[in-house]
Amino acid sequence: MKNLFRVARWEFVTRIKSRSFLFNTFVSPFLFAAVIMLPLFIFNMQPQISTKLIGIIDLSGLHIKDELQRELNRSYRLNNRSSEYMVMTVAVGNSPTYKEMLNKYHEIRNRLDSITTVYNQIKEQRMQYYKNRRIPNRDYVLRSSYEKLQNARDEKELIQIELSRFKTALDSVYKREAQRMADSLLYTDVLNAYLVFQPDFAKTGVVEFHTKNPGDLREIDRFEKILHTIIIKKRILDDQIPRSKIQKWFRPIHIKRYQLLPQGDQEWNFYVQFYGPLIGVFLLFMAIFTAGGYVFSSVLLEKSNRVIEVLLSYVNSSQLMGGKILGLGSLGLVQIFSWIVITALLVASGLLPASKISYLNMQNALYFVIYFSLGFLFYGSIFVTIGSVSASEYDAQQINQLLRTIAIFPVLLSLLVLANPNAPLIRALCYIPFLTPSFMIMRIPLSSVPITFDIYATIILMVVSIIVMIWISGRVFRMSTLMIGKKPTAREIWSWIKIK
Amino acid sequence: MNKETNENILEVRNVIKSFKETLVLNGLSFKVQGGETFGLLGPNGAGKTTTMRMIMNILRPDSGEIYFNGTPRNKLEGVHFGYLPEERGLYPRARVIDVLVYFGTLNNMTSRKAEVEAIRYLDRLGIIEYTDARINELSKGIQQKIQFIAAFLHDPEVLILDEPFTGLDPINQTVLLEILEEYKKKNKILIISTHMMDQAEKICDHICLINQAQVVIDGPVDAIRKQFREDAYYIELEGNYPILSELDNVQILEEGKNSYKFVLKRGAISLADLLKKVEEKARIRRFEVFEPSLHDIFIRLIQEQAEEKA
Ligand SMILES: Nc1ncnc2c1ncn2[C@@H]1O[C@H](COP(=O)(O)OP(=O)(O)OP(=O)(O)O)[C@@H](O)[C@H]1O
Ligand SMILES: [Mg+2]
Repeated sequence: MKNLFRVARWEFVTRIKSRSFLFNTFVSPFLFAAVIMLPLFIFNMQPQISTKLIGIIDLSGLHIKDELQRELNRSYRLNNRSSEYMVMTVAVGNSPTYKEMLNKYHEIRNRLDSITTVYNQIKEQRMQYYKNRRIPNRDYVLRSSYEKLQNARDEKELIQIELSRFKTALDSVYKREAQRMADSLLYTDVLNAYLVFQPDFAKTGVVEFHTKNPGDLREIDRFEKILHTIIIKKRILDDQIPRSKIQKWFRPIHIKRYQLLPQGDQEWNFYVQFYGPLIGVFLLFMAIFTAGGYVFSSVLLEKSNRVIEVLLSYVNSSQLMGGKILGLGSLGLVQIFSWIVITALLVASGLLPASKISYLNMQNALYFVIYFSLGFLFYGSIFVTIGSVSASEYDAQQINQLLRTIAIFPVLLSLLVLANPNAPLIRALCYIPFLTPSFMIMRIPLSSVPITFDIYATIILMVVSIIVMIWISGRVFRMSTLMIGKKPTAREIWSWIKIK
Repeated sequence: MNKETNENILEVRNVIKSFKETLVLNGLSFKVQGGETFGLLGPNGAGKTTTMRMIMNILRPDSGEIYFNGTPRNKLEGVHFGYLPEERGLYPRARVIDVLVYFGTLNNMTSRKAEVEAIRYLDRLGIIEYTDARINELSKGIQQKIQFIAAFLHDPEVLILDEPFTGLDPINQTVLLEILEEYKKKNKILIISTHMMDQAEKICDHICLINQAQVVIDGPVDAIRKQFREDAYYIELEGNYPILSELDNVQILEEGKNSYKFVLKRGAISLADLLKKVEEKARIRRFEVFEPSLHDIFIRLIQEQAEEKA
């Protein structure tokens, strides 16, 4: 038993001074934190200097443009207080087809105007005929003017029909030409996006939004909101409600986010809430894989330089394995305590507002230590096994890579965890020993309800898996360390596990 | 433990060991007394290293037992044993003194004592200046010396050295031999394996020759030599006198420039008379009873066994 501690001490002492350990403890975490914070930083710091140009194709004739501009100005402004969006009507005046059509339209329009004038004149005349009873031949005059009036009205109606028909045609040409124009402007990045308003958009509530990158949810979200307001305003206006009242009803709304926490409400900062646990998982991962990697390389080294033979003649294999796991596990704990101390120092110096970040507390630090220990024992014993059965560094490195990929997998699902830390899928994944520590470390700070049951259950699960793993690796380790220059087959390994 | 009684005995009894299909040792037995150097000899792949590993409890025999002073090996602690494996290796990035102290403490030494002993041996082997050096900065021979120290630093009862002399220059071989001689005087067990028969001849008191999974011969070196003695003599003269060939009761086996290896024909002449006769004609530079070398015996036995098989 004493030898177990001697081995542990040796492993601990030889590694703690190593450059890689110091790097992994004091440099990597900051590098990582910097790397994930950087985009955020850039995003926030970037001055929004450019105004975005938004095209509009208005087929409704309701002068949406001005209203849209007004609403956008009200809600979205750049840092320098000028409007973030600028709305412009897509001009089609240069299109020959449209020009021709438009001329014809104007001509019909003129015709309609003149016939209307004629019609009105006749009406006027008849009015006078009615009033002036002294007109000779009054009956005849009235009758013939009535005929004229009838004719003029017929003609007017015909022209009106023609005009409205032509208007539809013109609109569709306008729409087509305008859209072609807008597309080319969009293509050349003059426009950021353009909107198409159909004549009946207020009724149907449909507005087209054309853009090069439909994935830009933020932009779409903003326009949806604005158009919503505009359309509803229109609908209300149609019901003859005074504009001033509507203005009051539609004053913009801002949502301030708060998360319910046991200690009381706190302003919910998305980034801190999200990146904090993410950094936590990363640190956990680092600690487990730094220490686990040491276990692994230590076995591999002793196996390849045959020191293992001397060691095994003085200590038995379980002492050797236990010593390694203990020694390098303590190394991992040193790493974690250094981080806890660093965090505590940052808090004490006021750089980290612990009172605002609810998960920075002693209880979670304890969980961190517990899940590290469990994760390390689990992965450590796997590493011992891999190290002992691998014939070369190369083989071993590949398996190592695979394990890392598995262990970091929860980070990929971090958004899901953030959305709902207690979703059934996440809970289920928590019970896969390979993933347990990472998921739990993310869930504990994020969950708004206590997950005591999951904590106890996963701890028990981990302990059981660790016992199984250590038992298996002890066997494989004993048998395989003396095999020279040869990788055992899966069947051989299986037979070592089975034999007494 | 047996320092007063000095009754160290290591016994290998009927050990069988096979790796998968190949039978490496088939009923190996031998007994080593304290105070003697035991040489485990045999061609490549004979199973010498495997035997040593079993004595070190690194491998377990399939059947058969190994006893040290009557206690089965697997009930004993490693402390009583010291081992220099065939394949040498140390922690490349560690410092010499740290490695030695580590191995010492694994054998229940206090680190203070381990350090003192380590420095004593480093001094003795003339490598004291490397005490604080890193292992990977040292030459192979020096690394080997350090591994020697690691093997007997804790003053074990049984010291097992697998091919200890390969890679050492003659001076270092001599220094090492001195240390081993001293160790043996404490009535401890020393087991070495080697391919170098002249080395084995010089240092072993007792040898065991293994071939094809079996003990070919086992016994004290003197007895084995005697067993293979051909009653031949060796004589070397000053100047070239063909005197010996003139005597008809002498059969010459080998003839050198001024030397002869010969046997006396049965009942013809006494050795004293023969020498007197020779001295009348020429001065004798050297005369001795011819002993077959282990080398010769080794080759003869292995060949014989191969012929039997064929
Ligand atoms: N771990 C192992 N797995 C399978 N076979 C082995 C193993 N170790 C040794 N052997 C086989 O056992 C036989 C004896 O090996 P051993 O190393 O004991 O020979 P040796 O007498 O020391 O030879 P050498 O003089 O070459 O060192 C060899 O045929 C070898 O192939
Ligand atoms: Mg060998």
